[in-house]
Amino acid sequence: MSTVDPITLEIVSNALASTADVMAIGLYRTAYSTIVRDALDFSTSLCNAEGEQIAQSTTIPFHMGSVPDAIQSMFRKYGDAIEPGDVFILNDPFDGGMHIPDIFIIKPVFVGDRRVAFAVATAHHLDLGGRVPGSSACDNRDIFQDGFRIPMLKLYHRGEPDEALFALLRANIRVPVMTFGDLRSQLSACHVGEHAVLELIERHGIETFESCAREVLDYSERLVRREIASWPDGSSTFVDYIDSDGCGGPRTKIQCTMTVAGDTLTADLTGSADQVPGAINATRSFTVATIGFAMRSAMSQVLPNTEGMFRPLEVIAPEGSIFNVRMPGASSMRGVVGFRLADVALGALAGIVPDRIPAACEGGNSLVIFGGQRLESQDAYVYYELLCGTWGARPDRDGNDGLCSPANVAANIPIEEAECNYPIRIERYGLVNDSGGAGRFRGGMAVEREWTLLEGEAQLTIRSDRRDHPPYGLQGGQPGRGSTNVLRHAADKEVLMTMVSTGIKEGETIYHRQPGGGGFGDPLERDPKAVARDVRNDRVSREAAVESYGVMLKDGSFEVDDETTARLRAERSHG
Amino acid sequence: MAESQIRLAADVGGTFTDLVVVGHEGRVLTRKVPSTPPDFESAVLAAVDEVLRDEAVVPGSVTAVCHGTTVATNAVLENRGAKTALITTRGFRDVLEMRRMRAPQLYDLFFVKPPAMVDRYLRFEVGERLSAHGGILSPLDVAELDPIIEQLTAENVESVAICFLHAYAFPAHEQQAGDYLLRHLPGLPVSLSHEVLRQRREYERTATTVVNAYVRPIMHEYLASLGNGLEDRGVEAPLLIMQSAGGLTPAADAARNPVYALESGPAAGVLAAANAGSLCGIDNIISFDMGGTTAKAAMIEAGEIPYTTEYEVGASLSAGNRLTGGGGELIMAPAIAIGEVGAGGGSIAAIDGAGALKVGPRSAAALPGPVCYQRGGTQPTVTDANVALGYIRAGRLAGGDVVIDEAAATQTIREQIAEPLGLEIIPAALGVHDIANAMMLRALREVSVHRGRDPRDFTMVAFGGSGPVHAANLARELGMTRVLVPPRPGVFSAIGLLVSGIEHHHVRSCQLAGAGLDSGNVQASIDEMRQEMFDQFRRESVPLDTVTLAAGADVHFAGEASVIRIPVTGGGEGQTATVDIDRLCKDFIAEHARLYGHAGDDDSVIELCAVRLVGRTVGDRRMDVPEGSEPSPTSQSRHAAFADCATPVAVPIVTRAELESATAGPLFIDEYDATIVVPPGWAAKHDAHGNIIMTYGAATS
Repeated sequence: MSTVDPITLEIVSNALASTADVMAIGLYRTAYSTIVRDALDFSTSLCNAEGEQIAQSTTIPFHMGSVPDAIQSMFRKYGDAIEPGDVFILNDPFDGGMHIPDIFIIKPVFVGDRRVAFAVATAHHLDLGGRVPGSSACDNRDIFQDGFRIPMLKLYHRGEPDEALFALLRANIRVPVMTFGDLRSQLSACHVGEHAVLELIERHGIETFESCAREVLDYSERLVRREIASWPDGSSTFVDYIDSDGCGGPRTKIQCTMTVAGDTLTADLTGSADQVPGAINATRSFTVATIGFAMRSAMSQVLPNTEGMFRPLEVIAPEGSIFNVRMPGASSMRGVVGFRLADVALGALAGIVPDRIPAACEGGNSLVIFGGQRLESQDAYVYYELLCGTWGARPDRDGNDGLCSPANVAANIPIEEAECNYPIRIERYGLVNDSGGAGRFRGGMAVEREWTLLEGEAQLTIRSDRRDHPPYGLQGGQPGRGSTNVLRHAADKEVLMTMVSTGIKEGETIYHRQPGGGGFGDPLERDPKAVARDVRNDRVSREAAVESYGVMLKDGSFEVDDETTARLRAERSHG
Repeated sequence: MAESQIRLAADVGGTFTDLVVVGHEGRVLTRKVPSTPPDFESAVLAAVDEVLRDEAVVPGSVTAVCHGTTVATNAVLENRGAKTALITTRGFRDVLEMRRMRAPQLYDLFFVKPPAMVDRYLRFEVGERLSAHGGILSPLDVAELDPIIEQLTAENVESVAICFLHAYAFPAHEQQAGDYLLRHLPGLPVSLSHEVLRQRREYERTATTVVNAYVRPIMHEYLASLGNGLEDRGVEAPLLIMQSAGGLTPAADAARNPVYALESGPAAGVLAAANAGSLCGIDNIISFDMGGTTAKAAMIEAGEIPYTTEYEVGASLSAGNRLTGGGGELIMAPAIAIGEVGAGGGSIAAIDGAGALKVGPRSAAALPGPVCYQRGGTQPTVTDANVALGYIRAGRLAGGDVVIDEAAATQTIREQIAEPLGLEIIPAALGVHDIANAMMLRALREVSVHRGRDPRDFTMVAFGGSGPVHAANLARELGMTRVLVPPRPGVFSAIGLLVSGIEHHHVRSCQLAGAGLDSGNVQASIDEMRQEMFDQFRRESVPLDTVTLAAGADVHFAGEASVIRIPVTGGGEGQTATVDIDRLCKDFIAEHARLYGHAGDDDSVIELCAVRLVGRTVGDRRMDVPEGSEPSPTSQSRHAAFADCATPVAVPIVTRAELESATAGPLFIDEYDATIVVPPGWAAKHDAHGNIIMTYGAATS
């Protein structure tokens, strides 16, 4: 086994990273569904011949680390029967997948008969059958309600499509034009990845490529170990809750203990809830990916996107718990448990590296899904909104107002696009004042959006959270304001649960307000000028300036009344 | 230069202002003076004064002043634009601030989102609302504008943007609001979204309109003082401004819609490359422009320059895709498609925590500059590696204060790169050179391979201060065998200003598929835009018989996020072109397969999303630029190392003029502000237009 010189390694590593990005750009440009092409809920990666992930594009961090599990499943099932021209498909969470909506497309790359790599594209699909449009509902009670299971199978065998599999899939989904359009974009991304790898091998030789494909993993590992070794040894535990169990039941406990020992990190999730009846359970691979995200975000080093980063990390996730679901548990809405685990893992790390960890963000994106039939054409439609939000305050600066939480990198759906293509009108979309947690540094403002259904009836599914357990503040910072969902009928209105599937009729309106981000540090220590600026920009009201920050502005102006402010703050800190 | 028809071109960059003067009989003069931010016009006028004085140019004989400027871009990058307000549909004032929600990088919990160009308290809402199909859900009550007008006055707002939902198709409410403001606040510039950009997607249209409003007063003032300065000197020729999409437009238009001129400078370089190619019959070109902090590449195919419809400003680098977007404001305005990476001569090389050698994105810029400049730089750069390798000569750079110290370059490479990695100096310096190349390859591949084009079918045209040093090795990486280095590579971009005509781009969003996708609908849009465009040319006193039109359509499979621009061709040429939909669809399918590897299937429906019309006057696309008079080399050869022969060898130094027949490398051609490196395996020859043509694999000596 030869080692590669650092210069060749850097050149190949650059090429691998840019190849993953090129795959991703081709994918979103040709995808059909709003969730892939606009919200960008997908990832592309390359793995070495052993199935270890050696590059992922600048896409969903939660997919990082899930791909190798899928490939291991392929090895178990197909062993030596993995051949040139094969393309594999998978979504089954009990066969190496993550949750029903995420389809993996995996293409082995060969030079002659020698397998050298895998090109992988994973995308969240608009609909894969199941109980409700969108194949995701928090109150799904088992995997069969979630949707159509695809175990690890060959979609193409030696270049020939498996027509039976295509036909079966087409018969079990609601919007095949969208689904097949997105599938094609995944296939084309893998095709692009395959060609780029072959070109790299032609340039550098197969031995060098394979050495680099091992070394990039070691390199990531070294960076992570070096970083963890610089953290103090010790343990820290953090607990938070999801408001329900997905089916309107009691809150779900999420606990994480982080332990640093030398250059290793252990995340022990013992103490978290058992598997719940609703669809907010996670597979182990998704759990590990989430912890990996938290660990990596706490690091000061910039890492290449490879699986090597997971080597110094151990994750303890008891089987049958919410973090390691057993058959036939539902998991379609597992995103929320990932977001909460990220919050809790970061919360635990705040006890170890406090100057690197922000207060809680909005808690991840909310999903608002409309599914129905167009009146005129009778075509089925699924309108899938992935609403994202806002950041918690940082140890040295405010949270970002109106930016996708760091655990996700989704984008929003343009209102004008939505209104031109779906029977939906968006009544407002903006930031909410007095919603960011008060602190020396203020939490980001909550995002609100309101939709009117313009024709017929539709199934409405919402996944949101953090109404009863709002995003936490740190070191004296206040929590952000909790979320809400309001369904307005013709005559009255109804406050909906955070996680719900229900009907909506023409002319009715659904309003969703996401939570605000948590604050950091004592609000009474916030620079009064920053408070005045927030008041002027309607981010904080005059009342809240006095109430939460002890800052009085001069009548009708945006100038700080220094004297009153000093008095108010003195009273508060002594009282 | 006592000639009768003289044209001036002024290319203003962050560091230098280049002036090129062309006489009727093809005489060319150049001047390079330091830029004078923030009053950029001073340097232009100073250079004009020099030429008028030293070269006996008669001001009245100047027939055109063509200008590429970074004034608008700099105003954005340095937050020096006007105090701007935004008026928008009720419920949507935060669309601008929320952008598309994405952060440009992952795992950075300390990322700070760049603030919106309009503060929240200056974003006003009015209760108007149109449906997606033009229905009035709530009419515009102009009385609602009265309190807003009061606030605009009280806050001393200098520029206003108005963007209402669905105004790209139904502009009536914007027009009413704009008229009302004009009546009540005459003199306050108002940018209406449908006038700036008639395209769907509220954030992109709002941002583009706001950026336009933000830079409008500063651009207006700048162009006015430049125009006045020229007039004071007796130069009364029209002042024409280069736009991002590559054509010139009268100063009055650029002052009104400056957002179309943000990428003025880089565009000129691509046009110059196209011109250089067409002179010697090369129409498949990849242009490569490498400066101090960035490298830029563009692809010219069959003489056609490719466009992009969106890019970001205010980000550290303009992002060509949405994966790394979110670091700045997204501009949806036509621009030449240019790939750009943060690697240049000043990029810093360093070893990271895990022992890997990295180059950039940090740059030593002009100050302190590379270590070998001896101006306080302490970190090795790509230029230091090039000096250590012998590619760049030591000693005084022509006409400048900079003296290159070879010993300092070698020392910094040895101490900071070679020794920590356990390498000799030459392999370490080659490593820095190669890694910089690997990064620049990203830009080159982005515009070629990633668009389904094979670079081997193209010739590289290399310019910029460092371009000709790296060009040959980069070309090899891409399998390219021909590199063209034009005369005066240092002021090459300014040449692009002189080869361009006046150009306007118009667009209409639409949604045509199935039965709606017929030639009549498309023809109607084109006819409407043609009318508008002719009116515009008439206002600018451009004779219509000098104008040629080219129509295009943005097409995709219904449901896809992105579009492919396909030329609309038909029975006639130019102004009388009629639409041939079948051909359009066939062309689209072929291009889709080429770009993405598939041509859809039975479910796929072809949809036309926008119709575009470009009108341009014929520029001087075949302008020959004689080479400058270069000093004779002070020595016959110097030692240098190459990847294929790491032991330094004596490399002959020659002038362009000496390369009458193909001469085998290694060779150096040291010029005024650039060195051309001809590595082993390459041969170089001087052509009739003053270019150096390097070819690989055909070396004869």
